[in-house]
Amino acid sequence: MFVSRLLANPALGPLTPLQREEQIIQFLHVNAAALAPTLSTPGFFPGASWSQSLSLLLAALVEEVDVALMPRLDEILDRMQFGFVALLRPQAAGGERVRSQIREYLRAVLRRMDARRVMTGPLAAISYGFVDRYCDQMWARKGYSHFELTKVQRLRLGRDEVKAMIEATLLLKPIVCSGSSATAGLAEHASGVVQAQYAERVVAAAREALSLAPDELIRSAANASVSFQENRYIEATARIAAILSWRCRSYQPNMRADRGADSPDKSWLSVARRNHRFYGFDVKMIDELYSIAAENGW
Amino acid sequence: MEHRQSFWENLVVVAIALVLIQTFLDDFAVVAGWAWAPREVLLYAGLALDVFFSVEFLTRLYFSFIRRRTGIYFWHERGWIDLLASLPLVLLSSGPAALALWSGSTIALGRASLLNVLKVVKAIRIARVLRLLRLLKVFARIRNTDSTMAQRHVAKVATLSVTVLIATVMLLGIAFSVFDVPSLETAYQSRITTLLAAVEGDLDRGAPIDAGELAARESSLLAVQREGRTLFSRFDSDYYARQVGPNDYGFAERGDFRLFFDLRPVNRDQSRNNLIYFAIIVVTIGALLFAYSPHFALTVTDPLHVMTRGITEANYSLEVKVPRLYRDDEVFELARAYNEHYLPMKDRRSAASADGFDLSMDDVQGLLDD
Repeated sequence: MFVSRLLANPALGPLTPLQREEQIIQFLHVNAAALAPTLSTPGFFPGASWSQSLSLLLAALVEEVDVALMPRLDEILDRMQFGFVALLRPQAAGGERVRSQIREYLRAVLRRMDARRVMTGPLAAISYGFVDRYCDQMWARKGYSHFELTKVQRLRLGRDEVKAMIEATLLLKPIVCSGSSATAGLAEHASGVVQAQYAERVVAAAREALSLAPDELIRSAANASVSFQENRYIEATARIAAILSWRCRSYQPNMRADRGADSPDKSWLSVARRNHRFYGFDVKMIDELYSIAAENGW
Repeated sequence: MEHRQSFWENLVVVAIALVLIQTFLDDFAVVAGWAWAPREVLLYAGLALDVFFSVEFLTRLYFSFIRRRTGIYFWHERGWIDLLASLPLVLLSSGPAALALWSGSTIALGRASLLNVLKVVKAIRIARVLRLLRLLKVFARIRNTDSTMAQRHVAKVATLSVTVLIATVMLLGIAFSVFDVPSLETAYQSRITTLLAAVEGDLDRGAPIDAGELAARESSLLAVQREGRTLFSRFDSDYYARQVGPNDYGFAERGDFRLFFDLRPVNRDQSRNNLIYFAIIVVTIGALLFAYSPHFALTVTDPLHVMTRGITEANYSLEVKVPRLYRDDEVFELARAYNEHYLPMKDRRSAASADGFDLSMDDVQGLLDD
């Protein structure tokens, strides 16, 4: 009841289910001292310690969020075109089977709290149409990102297939949490980046669970958490997914720019440009996205 | 109590709107040659408004005194404008004009004091310029920006420019009058003086006075009377009743002759000047409100507002827009430091500590109480 009402708070209204969940978890941690006395009263969890109360609250929170999250994921997966799978690997399984396997994989991996945290940005990026928004412009400009996708990564795909692959990369970004040491690896890096060697191990481990998915996709999803500073050869789809994922982690759809302020995307990308080493972003790609945002008033 | 206060404040706003219309029409009517009847209405309306604003000033002064903030009201809340735009006008402009009307007297262009009388009349006209200070009262009530700093700065500039303009006009008017700087008025005085001297010379010599010849020499001569009998009249009685008010003419007596002169050209010239000042002030205030005020917001208050939000709100991370033209302004140098150093640092800190969130304890207090 308490969790339901927290989730229904108008301040969280426009956010995605996972953004709401993350906000509430942060709120519980930050306000532990103020909440603990009240939550141990008979009205909530009588006699329970703060850690016990927190565990119960988090379990209830996840259960409650999943009510909205799982249909949202299904909706996204149902809408996605997996035609790119056949174009990448002609002998691979059909799109429907890949879709089904990814669905099952996500349901499993999203039981982990760290995976849910990694999924916050990707879910928002897909939900708010960021892939469409920026990829359409990249394609129209035929600049750096387009070159990286088509010439360096050598994707022989059309625009819509590339967009679908980036969305699939985003959806599978939580595979970095599938390794046994994943949590420790993520916790060490506030920016969420993992080492390239670790990503290699994740790819090897994920091949089993995502046996029908093409290797390019799994590798792209794992490398979306690898710093471009560490590995200059990571896929362009992974680099785009990394940027959009971080962009949308804190994205507020109804945010309006004050008079005298730059637009939200332009501001975020400008800050990201200065922090590109910290987050492991490709600075040239950030520059191009910044130009797109500036030209379109985003 | 608040309802009553609001009623009075609204009444003052209405009065300010009316006084602006009255101020404009009062001079426009003279320039356009309106009939006396509507000008008489405007004269009484001017007196009523002058009295209203005098009462308003005295009331505000009284309440500021009993609240021990007289100095704040007078100097910082522009009580001095309330003063200059009220009591002096009752005493020097609308009051004497209305009194003259009630007593039926008109401006006597006496033998020795003709020049002095005209100077007094001119001083009264000059004082009318003070009415334009009321435009600042309208300005004070227009809020086209949320920033109190922007409002204060723009109001300060407006007050200074309007006051300087009015003070300059008044002081120059007085100086020109004292030093007899040639003008339409002095030329007019000179012509009348010459005519009256000629009449005096004829009377001294015992020569006959030809009223028609005098009227031909001086176009402002309206009528000549001798012992109450009209020897010459430029217009018929209906015209005088309809078009000419007590302030529109003056008379002088020489022997048993009485000569009436038309003062409307001089009044028209002064009103035309007043309309020019009125337009200058309206345009100045309009420019400050609609050009300078947005510029001030763009270059000062908006960047400060954005930076304040960025510093105080965990979830707010929009950059300050730095216009290329003003990038070297101190405010935008600060904004660049905010954009280039503070926000990236805040972002890294936020990623590390995950402290940017929308919920606060206030949001959930109700849930905990339940």
